Amino acid sequence: MRHAKKSDVLQGTLDLMILKTLEALGPLHGFGIARRLEQLSNEVLRLNEGTVYTSLMRLQQAGWIAATWGASENNRKARFYSITKRGRKQLAKETEEWQRIAGVIGRVLRLEGQKS
Amino acid sequence: MRVRRLATVWQRLRRTIRGAPRDLEFDAEIAEHVRLLAERYRRQGMDEEPAMLAARCQFGNAVLLQEDRRAMQTMPAIEACGRDLLFGVRMLRKNLAFSLTAVTTLALGIGANTAIFSICNAVLFTPLPYAEPDRIVMLWERTGGGALTPVAPANFVDWRSASRSFTDMAALNPGFGGDGSFVLDRQRGAARLAGARVSWNLFSLLGVRPALGRSFLLDEDRPGRDHVAILSHRVWQERFGANRDIAGSHITLDDERYTVVGVLPAAFRFATSAAGFEERNQFDVFVPMALDPDGLKRNSHPLRVLARLKPGAAIASAQAELDVIGANLARAYPANNKDRGIAAVPLSEQLSAPVRRPLEMLLGAVGLVLLLACANVTNLLLSRAVAREREMAVRVALGASRRRLAQQLLTESLLLSTIGGIAGVLFAVTAVKVLSSYLPADLSRAAGITVDTTMMGFAALISLATGMLVGLMPLVGAGRMNPAESLKENSRAAGHLQSGLRNTLAVAQIAIAIVLLVGAGLMAKSLWALMHVEPGFRSQGILTARLLFPPGRYPDNDRIAMFEGELRNRLRGRPGVQSAGFATYLPLSGLENGWSFTVDGRPPLPVGVFNTAQYRPVSPGYLETIGIPLIRGRSIMPADTADAPWVVAISDAMARQFWPGEDPIGQRLRFGPGETARTVIGVVGDELHEALDGEPEPEMYVPVSQAPNVESSPTIVVRTALDSGTAAAELRAAVSAIDRAVPVDGIETVGQLVSASVAQPRFRTVILATFSILALAMASIGIYGVMNYVVLQRTREFGIRLSIGATRRDVLRLVLGRAAVLIGAGTALGLGGAVVIVRLIANLLFRTAPLDPYTFVAVPLVLAAVALLASYIPARRATLVDPMVALRCE
Repeated sequence: MRHAKKSDVLQGTLDLMILKTLEALGPLHGFGIARRLEQLSNEVLRLNEGTVYTSLMRLQQAGWIAATWGASENNRKARFYSITKRGRKQLAKETEEWQRIAGVIGRVLRLEGQKS
Repeated sequence: MRVRRLATVWQRLRRTIRGAPRDLEFDAEIAEHVRLLAERYRRQGMDEEPAMLAARCQFGNAVLLQEDRRAMQTMPAIEACGRDLLFGVRMLRKNLAFSLTAVTTLALGIGANTAIFSICNAVLFTPLPYAEPDRIVMLWERTGGGALTPVAPANFVDWRSASRSFTDMAALNPGFGGDGSFVLDRQRGAARLAGARVSWNLFSLLGVRPALGRSFLLDEDRPGRDHVAILSHRVWQERFGANRDIAGSHITLDDERYTVVGVLPAAFRFATSAAGFEERNQFDVFVPMALDPDGLKRNSHPLRVLARLKPGAAIASAQAELDVIGANLARAYPANNKDRGIAAVPLSEQLSAPVRRPLEMLLGAVGLVLLLACANVTNLLLSRAVAREREMAVRVALGASRRRLAQQLLTESLLLSTIGGIAGVLFAVTAVKVLSSYLPADLSRAAGITVDTTMMGFAALISLATGMLVGLMPLVGAGRMNPAESLKENSRAAGHLQSGLRNTLAVAQIAIAIVLLVGAGLMAKSLWALMHVEPGFRSQGILTARLLFPPGRYPDNDRIAMFEGELRNRLRGRPGVQSAGFATYLPLSGLENGWSFTVDGRPPLPVGVFNTAQYRPVSPGYLETIGIPLIRGRSIMPADTADAPWVVAISDAMARQFWPGEDPIGQRLRFGPGETARTVIGVVGDELHEALDGEPEPEMYVPVSQAPNVESSPTIVVRTALDSGTAAAELRAAVSAIDRAVPVDGIETVGQLVSASVAQPRFRTVILATFSILALAMASIGIYGVMNYVVLQRTREFGIRLSIGATRRDVLRLVLGRAAVLIGAGTALGLGGAVVIVRLIANLLFRTAPLDPYTFVAVPLVLAAVALLASYIPARRATLVDPMVALRCE
């Protein structure tokens, strides 16, 4: 538990990104999600890919995503994650929230910029 | 949504208990991910080995991920709890001596508290067994002096018609002497039934329905139709073989035919005083009071009046209304009601008020015992905490948080207190069973109490509180622990923080013990004084029994006096019997009857003012038998018959009060204007009639044959050298030889009456004394523990001292001096506390000053002696330290 409280915000954003990814691309396995995040962030966001699984477990426990076993592209057994109805709802809510906060922070930052 | 969350919690709980299985699928998923990453690196041209390494690096800590998953799927807090619990059990089993001491101490503390609480709960807090009992009040007449007295029938009737605050008002006449008792004439031998005359609506007012048959009807509460009876469950069982068809059948009470209309439930109890709840004081039969509307008296006051407040009516507003009614009646009937008010007292308060203070004292005392027990166990835990300091240091060094350590220690102490609590409940069950058989009459509501949810709940609550208190105290010092220091071999730095706490605890223990010992000392001295008070009558070798003369065969006092004379003659002829006599009101029997009188030749008293003295109809021989001495004049003799000049003997207190500085002999007094004058023929000694802690009252002894009322229920007193069983058999034989229809019961010795009258003070004193001895023992163990610890800590120092020339005496003095400081501080603190606390029990003391100098000197001396003795054991060990060993042990 020592590391659990590192940053709720970071965890939250990772959850949000994964939810968005699953909404946009449909069912994916863990590796696929990691690749997509890598690609999207232009490799700026270099994370321990293991944290993706922590996030996936958390989302699963909240009931926002579901997991099923299926076959991967090269026909290996893989677990596919997909967003649930409640997940979509949550995503909409979180997105809105995120944009609101981002907007506020952006305004504040601009304000500071003008002053200096 | 909620269901789903519940399901998740349940699943996590299940995984926690069963242990989550290692998730193979999850392992495979991660392995696959890492493999894919490695494959990508290989494609970029890496070799197998470095590619795998890079993949692992990019993936991060897979073990940690597994742990996260586990934490997410289970409840780590509970898991830790379980581990702590297992560890705690192991620790307790490993230190069996410690565990047993701690558990025993806690069990005594918790058990004693639970037992005393159970009694208090039954007597003070359990609602009375009636419907909405908090709305039932008792109504009393209040005299100008503020005393509450029973009610005159005429006043009761006026109150009932004038008041608006009550839904119901009912009266009960318990009857003095023979008034309330009936001779039940069954074919085989007569029996006495304790009877009460009641308003028809008494049972409906209480909300009690008969178990069989019905209650009285309004119509039956009138003269002429009132020959109906309701039986108690006990009489129904004992005398009528629990015959279920009894309703409607006839019984003979006092030679008259009554119809049984109902039988009360087995659990029914009724009393207007705390002592009345005792089983043997319960009424056997109820008959309607049937007040004659044309003959209502306002000058005799026999009735106990109950009323039920209307829903929503406050007792204060009812009291205000009663004040108005009382004032109106005082104006309308000044001769009898001048300065008489009305007082409403909630029935529950009426029943618990006299025992509230003693019980509160016991609760307080037993609470102190629990605090002492806590202090003792805390001390034990502290000693162990020192021994486990290295263990704790290792845990801290390995990364355990302070919270985690606290949780573990708390788990252990809660485990202790839970075991202690369970043992305590077992102890309490036994204690309550034992106490039940020694309960004084006024605590009899606690008779037959058993383990119930309240008792268990209370035990659980104080166990929990105890566990928390005991577990958290050692943490006060543990927080600032420095693991690096503690990990060093033989570190001496640690423990200093805790020795302050230990000293405080020892001082507190001694202080508490002092308070309890002072309380017990005062109570014991007071009880001793009470038991050695000179009652004014003989309390040894006197047997008493109640007789009851059925009115049909004994219509007047002549007939009764004849029977009494014959019985006295028969008994006097028996070997071992010295004398016998009869009286209606026996000392300490709880029976009293004050009468007003006028003295011939004195100016009439103003309206509403009376001379009153206790009225005592007695037979010749009574005063001699009970041992009330003749001071002047002559006693009551067989020659004082109805035809002889009427006489009265008065007590010294009466002589002093009404004839101060005069000789009362030859004076004449009357009980009423038209009554024959009675000449004072003698002055006899005072007696404590009502209670041993009371004051002698003015009394007037009248020969039965000259008594104005028929004294059909006298008590016989027999002075005899025989044991009470033989004497009782002799008495029964003599009575039935004269008349088989006269029942004899209530056989008791005067010694038993005296003993019963001090039962409550004795009960509370014995319990308090037990507690204080327990406290003394615990405090001694406490100081022993502290001194033992001091000696252990300073072994090396003592070794050095001895090796450089200190004598063993010096070392002994050193250790005992330290103990003396603690004992002195505790004693001073305790005495200070005692001075404050004894004020609270001042009114429970009899002829003992709250600051009784003997108690306040003896108690500290005893405690200091015992505590020093307890300290001497470790102190002596200190003198036996071998300097070489002590130095080498470093």
